[in-house]
Amino acid sequence: MMLETILGLFTLTMVAIVAIATIMSSNLFVASMWFGIFSLLMASNFFILDAADVALTEAAVGAGVSTVLFMGALALTAEKETIRMRTNWLPVAALVALSLVLFVATFEQPVLGDINAPVHQHVAPWYIEKTPEYINIPNIVTAILASFRGYDTLGEVLVIFTAGIGVLSVLSFKPKSKQSLSGEQLGQKVRGVQHHVILRVVGKLIIPILLLFGLLVQFHGKYSPGGGFSAGALFAAAVMLYGILEGADRSEAAMPQRIMLRLAALGATLYTGVGIACMLLGGHFLDYNVLWSNPVTGQYVGILLVEFGVGLTVTTVLVMIFNAIANRPTYQA
Amino acid sequence: MMLIAAGLAIVVTMFMAVIRGLLGPGVYDRVLAMNMFGTKTVLLVAVVAMIMGRPDFLDLALAYALINFIGVLAILQFVQNREARQAQQKNQTGASS
Repeated sequence: MMLETILGLFTLTMVAIVAIATIMSSNLFVASMWFGIFSLLMASNFFILDAADVALTEAAVGAGVSTVLFMGALALTAEKETIRMRTNWLPVAALVALSLVLFVATFEQPVLGDINAPVHQHVAPWYIEKTPEYINIPNIVTAILASFRGYDTLGEVLVIFTAGIGVLSVLSFKPKSKQSLSGEQLGQKVRGVQHHVILRVVGKLIIPILLLFGLLVQFHGKYSPGGGFSAGALFAAAVMLYGILEGADRSEAAMPQRIMLRLAALGATLYTGVGIACMLLGGHFLDYNVLWSNPVTGQYVGILLVEFGVGLTVTTVLVMIFNAIANRPTYQA
Repeated sequence: MMLIAAGLAIVVTMFMAVIRGLLGPGVYDRVLAMNMFGTKTVLLVAVVAMIMGRPDFLDLALAYALINFIGVLAILQFVQNREARQAQQKNQTGASS
């Protein structure tokens, strides 16, 4: 308990330092590094708070996928901020005053881990008590995410799908300015001078391991930390690794955008379809009890299908965004 | 007790990595700082999992290790491609002038 307090204090202090360092740095490349470190700190903090599922997703998305996408975006733009605002002290003073008010307000909060805190008395006891009876899986987080609060997760999947469409539509505009070097030419050029033999061999060995680990996280999420969101990020990370090692033009040839878009829609449709199937079988929307003769098995099947839909959508959307960014031609400044 | 000492040592190392990232004069110092920070996060998660008595959380440490590798590769590839692009631009401007 003592060590967890120290580690919690340490990670949160570091988060504050890293946030200030991110704001202060005018070099966008350095700022992306800070984002990666920030994400690892947050993931460690979630882990110390015993939220392993959140920690896994945060690390996979924040430290891995985000860094790759930031680097792809940086390749399309200048590296330095050209407009430097001079420091305006009024917002700084307002923020300091606000943070002092919030700091004073934290003394009213219940102590971390206090059993009588309202958050532990609201619905949590009911979930802890009823999950073995209704769903019978060890990981209560997965039970809440995929079954008890299935509506919210459906909303999240649709949000991810919509975000993917939005990013793709922004990236699909053809700019008018002159190209310097397209992603395809660059891929060939870099492959032509590719002398990192060790890196390519070791990296390609890691891809199948990463995919296998993604499958474990996807289908073992009922027993250990994991689920569709983190597994999707891991699958996408494997595709990104291939794109980094072999050139993004090859990763797009392996995973064409048109097929990926349809698969992303299929994942969201699968989730909704499970809900509609429950309605057609005489239950409520996303009430998996009716999917099988035995309600507990029905819950199991429903969670499996729904998590598969989530994983499919997250994977394909992230792969689409990566391919779109990495294959976009660059322009002369 | 030994695990707690190890955890504290890892925390101190992480702090030093962040300081190197803040001071680091060059880009590569910062890349190294981030890479080391990722490695230390893996170790910290492993140690905390052992202290909690939840060895099944070592999955997380494994995921962090794999993901961190990809992040650092992306950064290094960006640096390499930037040099290729700059060389290309130099060639183009040289040819046009």
